[in-house]
Amino acid sequence: MIHKRTLRRWLGIITLASLFLFNSVAAYVVTASKGGKAAGRSDIITIDTMKSFGDLERPAVVFYHEKHSTAVEKKGKDCTACHLSENDRFSLKYMRQEDEASEAVMNIYHNNCIACHQETAASGDQSGPVECGECHKEKIEISSIWAPIGFDHSLHYRHAKAQEEKCGACHHAYNKTTKKLFYDKGKEGTCRYCHKAEAEENRISNKAASHMACIDCHRKTLAQKKTAGPITCSGCHNPADQELIATVDPVPRMKRNQPDAVLLKAVGKEQKNPDLVRMNSVPFDHMAHEKYNNTCRACHHADLNACGSCHSLAGSKESDNVKLEQAMHQLGAESSCMGCHAEAQTDTRCVGCHSSIPKNRMKNLNECGACHMTDPTGSAAGSGKLDGAVIADALLKSRTLLAGTYAEADIPEKVIIKRLADEYKPVELPHRKIINTLLNNIKDNRLAGYFHRENGTVCQGCHHNSPAAKKPPECASCHGLPFGEENIHKPGLKAAYHRQCMDCHDAMGIEKPVATNCTGCHGKKA
Amino acid sequence: MSISRRKFLGWLAAAGSSAVISKRADAASNKHFTGYPGSKGVLYDSVMCIGCRNCETSCNKVNDLPAPDKPFDDLTVMDAHRRTDAKAYTVVNKYQNPNYPKSPLYRKIQCNHCLEPACASACFVRAFTKTPSGAVTYNASVCVGCRYCMIACPFEIPAYEYDSAFSPRVMKCTMCHPRISKGQLPGCVEACPTEALSFGKRDKLLKLARERIRKYPDRYVDHIYGEREMGGTSWLYLSAVPFKEIGMREDLGVTPAPELTAGVLGAVPMVVGLWPVLLTGIYAINKRNQKVAASESEAAVADALGQATLEAETKLSEALAKAEKEKAEAVEQEVKKALEEAAKAQEEDESDEGEDGTGEIKTEEDA
Repeated sequence: MIHKRTLRRWLGIITLASLFLFNSVAAYVVTASKGGKAAGRSDIITIDTMKSFGDLERPAVVFYHEKHSTAVEKKGKDCTACHLSENDRFSLKYMRQEDEASEAVMNIYHNNCIACHQETAASGDQSGPVECGECHKEKIEISSIWAPIGFDHSLHYRHAKAQEEKCGACHHAYNKTTKKLFYDKGKEGTCRYCHKAEAEENRISNKAASHMACIDCHRKTLAQKKTAGPITCSGCHNPADQELIATVDPVPRMKRNQPDAVLLKAVGKEQKNPDLVRMNSVPFDHMAHEKYNNTCRACHHADLNACGSCHSLAGSKESDNVKLEQAMHQLGAESSCMGCHAEAQTDTRCVGCHSSIPKNRMKNLNECGACHMTDPTGSAAGSGKLDGAVIADALLKSRTLLAGTYAEADIPEKVIIKRLADEYKPVELPHRKIINTLLNNIKDNRLAGYFHRENGTVCQGCHHNSPAAKKPPECASCHGLPFGEENIHKPGLKAAYHRQCMDCHDAMGIEKPVATNCTGCHGKKA
Repeated sequence: MSISRRKFLGWLAAAGSSAVISKRADAASNKHFTGYPGSKGVLYDSVMCIGCRNCETSCNKVNDLPAPDKPFDDLTVMDAHRRTDAKAYTVVNKYQNPNYPKSPLYRKIQCNHCLEPACASACFVRAFTKTPSGAVTYNASVCVGCRYCMIACPFEIPAYEYDSAFSPRVMKCTMCHPRISKGQLPGCVEACPTEALSFGKRDKLLKLARERIRKYPDRYVDHIYGEREMGGTSWLYLSAVPFKEIGMREDLGVTPAPELTAGVLGAVPMVVGLWPVLLTGIYAINKRNQKVAASESEAAVADALGQATLEAETKLSEALAKAEKEKAEAVEQEVKKALEEAAKAQEEDESDEGEDGTGEIKTEEDA
């Protein structure tokens, strides 16, 4: 028998040693890379139905749908092998219509999956797992490349044509009294207006709705030996396959009785008192704007009605207390006019000047009139004498959509910057070339053209913080010594020169001249 | 030597209470020091920095530093990360921008001129001074070359002239203290073409930085590095990405370095000065008490012993006397008895003439 003292000593040594070892082993364990070695799949479904019954006892099962659908197809079966159908509509659930008791659901999965796997293995084909841990895996090696898909104008047009303009084939509404779906002509909208990301009371989720509607129709059409859309996961959700979807360009305009020109009035369903409306109505070119987005949802985020129908001047419960002013002007919001216009300024052709212009729309209140136009006929603010659309049309037509420029003779071709020339020679700035490039960038863009319509507006990109003029002030008029106590925010002249040029080049991705190549702009003095 | 538990606890209590009742050392940071009023600083905006190394060139020229191995317009030196060294008060490093891999980010490294510098706190010969202008300056004439400052600096800035045999100096940025005292700009600030470096009063620079963040929230991370790090530095930084990505430590906290050591250092005088005296005193007193007690007890013992001896002798002599007396009395009694016996016997003899006449004469011995 070991002596007690020796035993204690050895126990002590072993405890200490194991403490060190266990702590250092953790440092060597390399966590499996999330990227995965195998190429990604777009058909990964995580089966965690049991979550609705409580905490999961085992990890959720990762299921590759396409693997199974191809295998099932090879055996000469179709979707009905796993999906029960009722009234010619498939259940998206596996081998059941409803989730009943937890035990029952679990058994459905276990019994059917394992039985099929065993059968397939018995017949000599490659089969799936039958053991617990092989389905209920902790770590998943394959990454998902699932990409969402939706309708854009082109895809919608193709479907509408295939249905011969019978919108009721897809679009429906729900009658709460009769508890039935029906086709509400003239009120068609996107599925997402009703079917949200999560299933609601008596309303299936968008995911379920799209799969049921789309795949069902495709399947039936294919059965009739006609061309149809995909019925596999990857056919819609694999980015590579998405590229193969044919596009129609230019897309003919969707026929939904939408207006060409609208006069945006604040008076509507919510706002009944016209006296409270203080700003001029805004003429809006609806037809032109349809082309600027892939979907109508970009602006019509809740329904296909006018913005003012929910967004009253003071906000309403329906509009989530978002006032009309916010809905139109909120920067950073995708659906607001100004938000989208500000987003347009981040285009590479525009961002050179616009990245350094602080976004403060309150700066120039005279610019409100660019949208809130005064109607020359005097019937603005929706007084109702003339039809809104007519007024809007007239106002829109009165706009100049071309950038204003001075005569070429008035724009200096080269500007010699020699005020700070010391170590380096003066800079020969190719002034006219830069302006012409900017004007070229604006040329085809109606938004840019309209907002630069006044002469001298383009010049204000560089000749900033001063009124637009034919002879705008030079940089040295305002920029002088740096770090003045009173002007801590105004850069000195050297930095003003360098930053103005370099920031624009950087934002627009202009690679030559490189900012660090001093002699690229001004040669070194001998 | 063995001391009793009680004594040990007593010493502990004495030492401990002296620690508790003494006032905490005021190492210049029991209030929050926000810098000398009107002290200057530099704001470095890494968003505006183009990595041209003009600042390095100018610093080298203004401070008469030796020429570098590779010229300053060679931008490939930034492919490796460098640090300040004995020949370079400042270097610019290049970092990859995680959001825009094609546009790298730059960061200029130099002394941050902390409001409460760790180097000044660690230096026991006061070679570093935090000047009212904001610069932390170095006095080579008192430096002993221990390099504690290099260990103390959380940003690892001070460098040392190891190659110099007889007069090595600690080399670090001086914020061009002589120049700014004359109203000029620091060399790096003057040379920067884009004003990525801004010079001015520290509180004005903070306002400038905040305004830049407010105007261009997409460009900047909403944090001014150096505003509170290590108690605040005079060199402030703005960045487009988290500061970790441009090689700056984000784990430093806001406590100034001197405050971290103030507690311990404040205790040193007490430990080194007070405790030896106090504890030695207590020990001495105890020892003396012991000695006195020992001698007293000895005296008491001797006294008691003497007492006892005296008593014993007295008792002995008394007992002896008593015994003598008893003996004498006993003898007397016997004699008396014998005489009586003899007298009695004689009487019998006389009366017994007519009888046996064998009268025994009882002698003393028989009685």
